[in-house]
Amino acid sequence: MGRYILRRLGFYLIAAWASLTLNFVIPRLAPGDPAAAMFARFEGKVAPEAMGALKAAFGFTDAPLYAQYLTYLKHLVQGDLGMSYAYFPARVSEVIGTGLMWTVGLAGVAVIISFVAGSFLGVLAAWNRGGWLDSGLAPALAFLGAFPYFWLAMLALYLFGFVLGWFPLRHAYGHDMEPGLSFAFAADVARHAVLPASSIVVATLGGWMLGMRNTMVATLGTDSIRLAHARGLPPRQVMLRYAARNALLPNVTSFGMAVGFVLSGSLLTEIVFSYPGTGYLLILAVRNQDYPLMQGLFLVITLAVLAANFAVDLLCLWLDPRTRAHA
Amino acid sequence: MRFARALLPLALLVACSSEPRPRPPGVLFVSVEQQSAWVRNFNPLFAGAGARWPTRAGVYECMEIFSSAQGRWVPWLATGHAWSEDQLTLRFHLRDGVRWSDGKPFTADDVVFTFHLLKQHAALDAGGVWRFLTDVKAETQGTVAFTFSRVYLPGFSDLAHQIIVPQHVWKDIADPVTFTNPEPVATGPFTQVTLFRNQVYELGRNPHYWQPGKPAVSALRFLAFPTNDQANMALVEGEVDWAGNFVPAVDRTFVSRDPAHHARWFPLYGSTVFLYPNTTRPPLDDVRVRKALSMALDRDRLVEVAMYGYTRPADATALNDAYTGWKDADVAKDAWTRYDLDAANKLLDEAGLTRGADGLRRLKDGQPFTMDLEVVSGWSDWVRAGQVVGRDLRKLGIGVTLKTYEFGTWFTRLQKGEFQLAISWSLDGPTPYNFYKWLLSPRTVRPVGEVAAANWHRMGDAQADELLMRFERAGTPEEQHALMSQVQRRFSAVAPAIPLFPNPSWGESNSSRFTGFPTEQNPYARLAPHAEPDSLLVLTELSPRER
Repeated sequence: MGRYILRRLGFYLIAAWASLTLNFVIPRLAPGDPAAAMFARFEGKVAPEAMGALKAAFGFTDAPLYAQYLTYLKHLVQGDLGMSYAYFPARVSEVIGTGLMWTVGLAGVAVIISFVAGSFLGVLAAWNRGGWLDSGLAPALAFLGAFPYFWLAMLALYLFGFVLGWFPLRHAYGHDMEPGLSFAFAADVARHAVLPASSIVVATLGGWMLGMRNTMVATLGTDSIRLAHARGLPPRQVMLRYAARNALLPNVTSFGMAVGFVLSGSLLTEIVFSYPGTGYLLILAVRNQDYPLMQGLFLVITLAVLAANFAVDLLCLWLDPRTRAHA
Repeated sequence: MRFARALLPLALLVACSSEPRPRPPGVLFVSVEQQSAWVRNFNPLFAGAGARWPTRAGVYECMEIFSSAQGRWVPWLATGHAWSEDQLTLRFHLRDGVRWSDGKPFTADDVVFTFHLLKQHAALDAGGVWRFLTDVKAETQGTVAFTFSRVYLPGFSDLAHQIIVPQHVWKDIADPVTFTNPEPVATGPFTQVTLFRNQVYELGRNPHYWQPGKPAVSALRFLAFPTNDQANMALVEGEVDWAGNFVPAVDRTFVSRDPAHHARWFPLYGSTVFLYPNTTRPPLDDVRVRKALSMALDRDRLVEVAMYGYTRPADATALNDAYTGWKDADVAKDAWTRYDLDAANKLLDEAGLTRGADGLRRLKDGQPFTMDLEVVSGWSDWVRAGQVVGRDLRKLGIGVTLKTYEFGTWFTRLQKGEFQLAISWSLDGPTPYNFYKWLLSPRTVRPVGEVAAANWHRMGDAQADELLMRFERAGTPEEQHALMSQVQRRFSAVAPAIPLFPNPSWGESNSSRFTGFPTEQNPYARLAPHAEPDSLLVLTELSPRER
């Protein structure tokens, strides 16, 4: 088993290197000149004579690609992500720092809630096939999930924030709050997170529920479950420990992916609810051809996807004795 | 179900505690920049880079301020200036008793130091002042003398508007270009960063401000809004006191909600938007063709569709309303910017571009006359303008395809002259000198393939340039106005680019908590907070109703 884990680790290291390299190459293949885009935002406020000096200040070089690549790797190892063009002269790490925690917090919690609740509802729906949960809630959630997210979020904001005034209209916490480890601040953050988090949950719950329900239905038809029933085990134990545990595996795998993609940002959530986060930074980086910021964000996303998948591998190892046998 | 029942009280608890937060009295809420999170940067010297507003006109200050709304210079850190007899030396007389926010006195040495910084770090010299300067020195504690390499009177505005930084702080900064200046020491009304978080920052009063009793506003607070929609919602709800956003149907959505306090003022002080023809590509090198394109445009419709009627069609001088005093009324009446399809058709016939059987006009080599019109994707006002232009030109028998590009790509193509038609802005200044120089002067023409700061249409007129060079040396207002009239005549004759409409300068105010915003009746500055350095005039004028 130790060898299995080591092998997986090795695989993830190679995958990390490959994606870091792609991360370096792809922005450089894109059309357009970042220096020109930079210059553009000054709308003629900068004399053309200042352009050369400007390029030097931004660190644009004409060095050969392999040299740029080596510098890139060296800086990465040192944890230096460079200077953002769009937020010049702020460091990329500082820019990402403004949103990373909030994205992880909001989208992470929302994805976990959605996964746990969706899977549980799926189990119940399959167990009571044809019940109101199965024939009522499941289609209703699938219906909600099919709405464009943007529209759903705007509607929630308008209804619960603007018209009813139950929840704040924007931001992760009130602008007069002192961030810190106080109960008041935590309550304020929670209050601000309700609308954005529930909009994500509502939009994704149906997917988890349906996925879980379908594998559960298949599992329930297997001989092992029939045997468990025949042996007179309590139904709750059959449902959770025998059927659900087996049916959960595919869902756990997709959960790994979903957690990884949390960081690429719930862009629309952030825009609708003015929530700080990395999704908005990513779109801004693309618009401004801010390569260092783009690379920094992709790096964070890549590492998160890989780490999440590694965690899922370990989780499957625990959930599924068969993987242990192969390992 | 037990789960849901457990959640219900929690949800109610959370919901009930939501009331509009009281806002501290005297704190002005402003929405200028649109960002999802704030990054701490108060570097005033690096123009246009990511410094937080109002670093360049509020935290730091310049020597004199041109108020385009008043059409005059307002003395600021300098009480005045004087040219030498030969017009090669310009002396600024600095104000007595000005102190930096750390209490140290502001002197001529700070001004000299700032200009030397620009010389050492060309990236900071946005106005390119060292193209015409040879020396800067402090003659006394209160007098700075600038020596010019040639007579260049328009250089005054670049010098007067230069932001001044304190020598005793900046002399120790290793690289002033990449310095983020987290704790600014400055002369402006608001210098103390009292709060800086990802969603909000606040600037407090300068304890040593040189205008007694000012600013009356105790602090400026900025909430992060990632897009226009969020900022507009806060404005409509009264959470923001001052903003410079584009608000659709502003009178209905904003002003009518509280007509006594909600106000908007969109004067046409923004840069004129042009349809730029690439004059290096025939037949756009032919003035008859350019004028024909211009006369085919139904500008009334254009401003209605593209700008919701917030502006007016450009006239033949192309000047915006900030230059009303310079405008030559006769030139403005010239016909080539008025809608006249028959005349336009006639001009193209004369130019030898006759219609083919399919209704499309043919170039001299027999190819159909088709062009791409390039705009920035997502800049919806220009995209709509491009659609109207395209439709109007098709009536003239010209095939126009609207192409949208990401900003960077679009701008690179524009700067390098690799386009046929494009919509873009124009450059401004206190006088129309800069505006026409970048439209007409051969000195601003760069070869195709080389990056040009403006004059993207690549057109130079020797006669106009001669007039502009005389303007650089013209000392009296009579002389200046006479020359500028001739320049306008030349512009109208040559038609280097096709003016569409002047841009409004967007500004909205809510006077329920603060008074003193500029209005159409009291136009002491532009209302748009983006308008630098006008914002200094506004920030020192506002005062809270509640104390």
